[in-house]
Amino acid sequence: MSKKQKPKNRVSWIMLAITVVVYIITAVFNPHVAMSALEKSYEIIKSIAPIIVVVLFLMAIFSTLVKSKNIVKHIGEGSGIRGWFIAIFGGVLSHGSTYIWYPILAQMRSDGAKDGLLIAFFYARAIKLPWIPVMVAYFGLTFTILLSVYILLGAVLQGIIADKTSAG
Amino acid sequence: MSTCTHCKEILNSTKRSFIMIAPMLLAVIGLVGLLQSVLTPEMIHSIFSGNAVYDMFVATLVGGVSVGQPFISYILGGELLQEGISLYAVSAFILAWVTLGVVQLPLEWSLFGARFTIVRNLLAFVFAFVISFLTVVTLELVL
Repeated sequence: MSKKQKPKNRVSWIMLAITVVVYIITAVFNPHVAMSALEKSYEIIKSIAPIIVVVLFLMAIFSTLVKSKNIVKHIGEGSGIRGWFIAIFGGVLSHGSTYIWYPILAQMRSDGAKDGLLIAFFYARAIKLPWIPVMVAYFGLTFTILLSVYILLGAVLQGIIADKTSAG
Repeated sequence: MSTCTHCKEILNSTKRSFIMIAPMLLAVIGLVGLLQSVLTPEMIHSIFSGNAVYDMFVATLVGGVSVGQPFISYILGGELLQEGISLYAVSAFILAWVTLGVVQLPLEWSLFGARFTIVRNLLAFVFAFVISFLTVVTLELVL
């Protein structure tokens, strides 16, 4: 996975057009579902808009002030154990929907971040710290601890596998 | 470079990034809204059979296309467990819910490329099985 691809904005517009068409078709056959979907989408936009603005702003600060060689040093090739710690704990501590993190991670990747570490970051996000009490309430403390430990191990393993496959 | 130049550069970069991701983000949010309206908890419930292996597979697929806050998967998972669905399947379901994102695939694909997206999602799919299995087996040994 050494090729770092530039985002394709054309694909984004096509995707948006497809979504609009799906909504129009839904509205024709079932206006209630279309309206409910629009309301839910609006609620999502309201809840994530401030986070998106902050993430994009942080991303811009990051790209302006942080040099690429520093990225490579911390989470690039040869970052070692420290890189894994940053990826795993970053993933566990990160909040919000995964797609909010896509732009900043894609930029880090084009700056030299290792694919394996990014994949480990994504998987470590499966541990949702704020929701742990809810999980404990439903499934018990032992289950929650075991699942969390295996998620962390799984995140590292996936990162290693991803790096091996890209090297091979 | 002066601080002011940095500020201008940061603001311009923020604007450019926003313009770049806005269409795809809107598309993904629109699809998430649609799925949340179409895919009801009752529908999810009716798909399981009672066979642990089959249910694990189905649970991973259903968790992968489902969207919403993680606690919704815990609530649904808790209900499924009470209905007699195996803990293997329920674990795979809550894991796939947070690690797989079928609706977000186009956005991931456009920003990270095909290879990264396929590898990451395939690994997440396989590990939903592996981790669920290991968690429940270890739990049975511990308790």
